[in-house]
Amino acid sequence: MSQVQKLGYVDSKLGAPSSGQQTTRVLFNTIEAPGTTSSLSFFRNFQGLTNGQTNLNQNKLDSMESMVIKSIWLAQFNSNGILVNFGGQRQQTISIIVGNQTIVKNLPIQFNQNGTGQAFDRLHSNAGIASTGALIVANTSQTIMPTEIRLLTDIVIPPQVAFEVRIESNSAAYQTGAVVCALSGYGKIFSAGSSF
Amino acid sequence: MISAQDKILYVANKLGLSTLKDMQASTGAVYDVDIEQSGVLFSNATRHAQPGATNINENQFQVNEALLIESLAFYDITTSEGQAFDVVNFQNFYGSDTVIVFDLVIGNKRVLKDTPIFAAGMPYTFATTALFDDGGITIFKPRHQLFMEGAGILIPPQVQFYISYKLYNVVTGATEPYLEDHAFGCYLFGTRVLLNFNTTI
Repeated sequence: MSQVQKLGYVDSKLGAPSSGQQTTRVLFNTIEAPGTTSSLSFFRNFQGLTNGQTNLNQNKLDSMESMVIKSIWLAQFNSNGILVNFGGQRQQTISIIVGNQTIVKNLPIQFNQNGTGQAFDRLHSNAGIASTGALIVANTSQTIMPTEIRLLTDIVIPPQVAFEVRIESNSAAYQTGAVVCALSGYGKIFSAGSSF
Repeated sequence: MISAQDKILYVANKLGLSTLKDMQASTGAVYDVDIEQSGVLFSNATRHAQPGATNINENQFQVNEALLIESLAFYDITTSEGQAFDVVNFQNFYGSDTVIVFDLVIGNKRVLKDTPIFAAGMPYTFATTALFDDGGITIFKPRHQLFMEGAGILIPPQVQFYISYKLYNVVTGATEPYLEDHAFGCYLFGTRVLLNFNTTI
């Protein structure tokens, strides 16, 4: 079943409108200065964030909007804006909760970055680890990539259902810059007319 | 999954474009550079030099021409006195913590909404191979593309389209200023429909 069919199927089961504009959605949320912690919750706190730090106002989609989560993207920046490994080299797990249901449960993310070199799928290389031979001092020189996991199943966020992304670890160091989580996939946004 | 051709024909049928199916299918891309640093792309294409800054005369396609957007990307271009020069990677100038947040509008409808382009690299662009040795350090050239999931988005004939965007710092949330002698560009890539006359003129 394709993403389009899956979204249509779930929306129809829930009685949600299916007439919206088809599009690609990338939802993102930032946590400023998380420090060292065992737990992060994305898409939970929107207070004080600007449009450059999140593109939602609340932890749910509007009444006529829904989307399929196809990819999870995680990035960590230090206070100089330099991209660094997410949570250092500490093993972490990610869970996605939609409504009262855990739809991704304790999925390890550390294999997709750092020195293991073993991203889950065959096409992607992992995010890599910064060279220890030279110190990167400017945010215009990037030696690693953000962490990304492409999901094998299409997971739907229906309209007006709260969702959350949780990261758990044993005291990972997220430093004093910011961490960003993005969820990407096919979606529908409100449209009064027919689709382009 | 719906194919690009099926999607074009579906929308054309909805819009009453009965002859679009007889036109030449192709692959194409349109691009424009925001030389004015106004936060808008494609709207001012008519005033921009070709091919340095754009490859369109106006921000709409002529009769029986269309583009199904299957991916789009932002890039940076160095400018001087309003003239576009070299195409460069904007992460290398603005930094990894920059994010572009943009809307794509076709006609009077917003079809891509508050969509981020992370300077650090976008989803689905993980396997980058464009490496650059910077004085002994191997650095990435992150990709700033958005790939359409599920279905592309059709720009029909004779309907205006544009992109409005803003620059932010994703760490602080502050608005980022434009760099002097730099301008942002964007291309829209996908299945193209070209006008094809059935009879010789």
